[in-house]
Amino acid sequence: MHTPDTQPIAPRHPDVVMRLDRLGSFHQSRLSFMRILLRRLQSEGWRVERTLFEIDARGVGRAVYTAHGPDRSYSLVAFANDLPPEKRSDRVIATEWDATFTLFDGVPDAADLARLQANVPRQEAGRVSEKELSLSRANRSVRLWDHVVESLAAGHQPDPDRVAEVGYLMRTTAVYGSGKFGAADREQIADRPECQAPFQIEMLSVYLTRAFVMDLVEHMARMRAPDTAVPLDPDLRRRFGIGNSTGLGMAPFLVTHPALLNNWIATREEALARIRSLPRASTDEARTLRRFATRAHLHAQDWHSEHPVQIAKLDALRADMAALLAHLSTADLQADQPWNRLWLWAEQALSLEGQELLASLLLEPYPQLVDPLACCMAADETATWRIDGAMRSDRLRALVQDIYGWALAIDWTSPDAQARVWYTSEAKLEPRLGERFDEPIEPYEQPLCPGRDAARLWADLAHTAHDNVAGFLMRHPQHRHIVRRAQIAARLPYAEIRDNTIDAAMMPIDMLRLKLSFFGACHFDPRSDRWLRINMYQHAPFPHELGARSGDDWAYPFLATAAE
Amino acid sequence: MTLSLNEIEALSRKAARGAGLSWGLAEEAGKAARWLVAQGLPGPQVLADLLTRNDGADYETLCPHDEDEGRWTARGGTLCPLISGAALCDHASRLAAGEALHLGRTASPMLLLPYLDAAARMAGRSVTVSWEGVSLTCGGTDDIPAGMTDALSTGMVDAVSILPGETCDAETPSPTGRADIPETTARQLDHFAQRTYAPETEASRLAGAGAGLTDND
Repeated sequence: MHTPDTQPIAPRHPDVVMRLDRLGSFHQSRLSFMRILLRRLQSEGWRVERTLFEIDARGVGRAVYTAHGPDRSYSLVAFANDLPPEKRSDRVIATEWDATFTLFDGVPDAADLARLQANVPRQEAGRVSEKELSLSRANRSVRLWDHVVESLAAGHQPDPDRVAEVGYLMRTTAVYGSGKFGAADREQIADRPECQAPFQIEMLSVYLTRAFVMDLVEHMARMRAPDTAVPLDPDLRRRFGIGNSTGLGMAPFLVTHPALLNNWIATREEALARIRSLPRASTDEARTLRRFATRAHLHAQDWHSEHPVQIAKLDALRADMAALLAHLSTADLQADQPWNRLWLWAEQALSLEGQELLASLLLEPYPQLVDPLACCMAADETATWRIDGAMRSDRLRALVQDIYGWALAIDWTSPDAQARVWYTSEAKLEPRLGERFDEPIEPYEQPLCPGRDAARLWADLAHTAHDNVAGFLMRHPQHRHIVRRAQIAARLPYAEIRDNTIDAAMMPIDMLRLKLSFFGACHFDPRSDRWLRINMYQHAPFPHELGARSGDDWAYPFLATAAE
Repeated sequence: MTLSLNEIEALSRKAARGAGLSWGLAEEAGKAARWLVAQGLPGPQVLADLLTRNDGADYETLCPHDEDEGRWTARGGTLCPLISGAALCDHASRLAAGEALHLGRTASPMLLLPYLDAAARMAGRSVTVSWEGVSLTCGGTDDIPAGMTDALSTGMVDAVSILPGETCDAETPSPTGRADIPETTARQLDHFAQRTYAPETEASRLAGAGAGLTDND
C-alpha cells in the first residue's frame, strides 16, 4: 500500500551543491539581492528624485539621483563622458569610461560635487571618502546606443528585436563597495536595516544607474533633434536592463568570504528543502509554478551567447524547459509532497541548468515561506574566523577527510591538476589567472586553491607528533590559512567550493556566475572562460513606476495576457 | 587623506605576505593592524617597522619555542609579535585554564594586543599583559588609556607577561573608524605589498584576464 511520504526533506549535501559545474548553473531567485532591494523600495515607499541633470550635446556633464527612504537618503552621483571609441574597454586596466558613478551617503552639497568631480571620473586613480558608499563606471553598448539615439531623434521607437538582442544601453564594468579607494567600510553602515542584506548598496547604485542611462539616451536624442525627438515607449523602456561586464575579481571574493558564501547557499538550500517538504500544494500555488515555468521558458529563449560552452548549456536548458512544461501539463502538483516528487523527477530528467532553474522556480509560489529568509544571507566573517588551537589533530584529520575528501582523491602530481595560478598583476592590481608551467608567476600565487592546500595539509598531518592544532601550526605555519578554512567549513557546510579551482579545465566563469546569480543577474554571456556579460534589472519597473507596478514580479519576461 | 579600515587591512596583509609570512599569518597581521587603528593606535607604523626589521629572517628564528614550561623564547633572540600573537590565540585554552604565559625578548609588543584581545574573548576571561612601563587588560570593554601610545610603541622589550584575569563577556565588538597614516608608513607597507604582485608582461596582459574580444560593440 502506498503511504504518502511526509518526512521533512533535508537540504542537499554540500558535496552535491558545491561543485563548480552546478554552481555555474545557478539562476536568480526570490532571494536575489536585486529582488530583496526592490521589494524593500516598494514596501517602504521609497521616492527617487532627479535633483541635477546637466549634460551637454556631446553627452558630457553630471547628474544626481537621490533615493529617499524612511530614515535616510542615498544619492547616485553620475559623471558622463565623451569617450573616444579606441579607449572603450571593460578591463580593469581601462582608464576612461563613458560614465562614472558613486553612491553618496545622503545628499551631496556643492563642495561634495566638486570633490567628486575631481575624483570619480578617475576611478581607481582617484580617492573617495567615508561619505561615499560605492564607486563604479559603465560603457555604452555602441551598437544599441547609436540605434536608440538615432531612432528617438527621428521620432520613432527603436527596433524591439535589436533591443532584445543586446538588452541594455550601458554595462557597468566594476562596482566597488566596502572601503575600496577610500569609501566607507561596510561596518559603518551594516546596522542600517536597508543595508542588512548583502550588496544592497551596490544593487541600489546599479538600479539608479539604469534610470540615469535611460534618461541620458532620451536626452541625447532631444539634444540632437529637439523638434522631432520622442521619448521611449514605457513598455519598451522596461525591456532595457543595465549590463555588466565581470572579470576574475569576483572569484577570489567567494573564496575569501567563506561565511558569506555559506549563508547565501545555505539560505537557498533551506528554502528549497522547506518547499520540497510541503505535504501538499494548493491550486493557486500549482498554477503559479506553472505560470513561472512558462515565463522562464520564454526567458531561456531570449538568452543569447556566442560562447560554445554556454551555447551547449542553453540548448540543454531549452530542452529542459520543454520537458518541464510537458511534465507539468500532466503531473499532479498538489498531493503527496508534490514538489519533492517534481524535484526527484528533475534530478533524473534535466541537465544542471534545468535543475537549478527549477530550484529557483520552486521558490516563486511561496513568498511568505521564502522572503523572510533573506535576513539570513548576511554574514559576520569574524565570528568563525579565529583558529581553534585546542582542537585535537585527529579531529582535524577527520574534518579534512570529510570536507576535502574530493581533493584527497586528486593526483596532485599531475600537471593538469595544478595547471593554473591565481595572481594579481602589478598593472592596476588586475586579478589574473595564469599557466603555472608556462609563465614565471608561481611566486605570486594567491591562496585560492583550497583543495590543493588541503591535500598538502593532509600529508603533513599524517605523521605529526603534535596532538593539537596549536602545536601543529607552530611548526607548520604554511598550513595556517587552510586549517582556518577547514574549521570554518566544519561549522558552515557550504563555505567551501568543493572543486579544484586550479585545474587545467576549470572555468572561472562558473564562480562568477554563482555570485552574479545571487545578485539577481541573468542572460549570462561568457566572452571567454574568464569573463562574462550579464543583464540586470531587465523588465524591472523604474523608480517612478514602483507602487504602480510590482517591485518583485519582473525577473522573468511577462506573458501576453492571453497566455496568462 | 584617510584610509578605510578595509584598505588598512588589505595593505597590511599584503605587506606581511610580501615580507615573508605565511598566508595565514599574514591574514591575521592584516586584522591586527586594522584592530589597532580602530583603537586609535599607530598599528600600521609599528607593523612597517617590524616588517623592515625582520625582512628576510627565517621563520624558525622568529617563532616561539616552549622549551621552558610557559615561557616562550625565540632561537634568533627576538620573538616576532605576529607569530607569537597567533600562537597565543591558538593557546587560548591555556589562558582559559588559568595558566600564565611569559614571552622573552619581543619586538614591537603593541602588535600582541589584538591577538590577546581575541585570545581573551576565546578564553572567556580577561588577560593582563605587561611589559616595562605598560600594563593593560585585554578582552574587556575599556578603551586603551590615552597617553600610553609612546610606551606602547616601543620597538623592543626584554620580557612580556600574560596573566589570565576575571571572566569576561565573549562578545566581539565590530570597531569602526578611519586611519590617517604617515606617507612614509604607506610607502614602506606598499614596498612590501608590491612583492606580491606579478610583473606586467605582454603574455600576462593578453591572456591573464581573458581578453581577445572587442569591448567596443
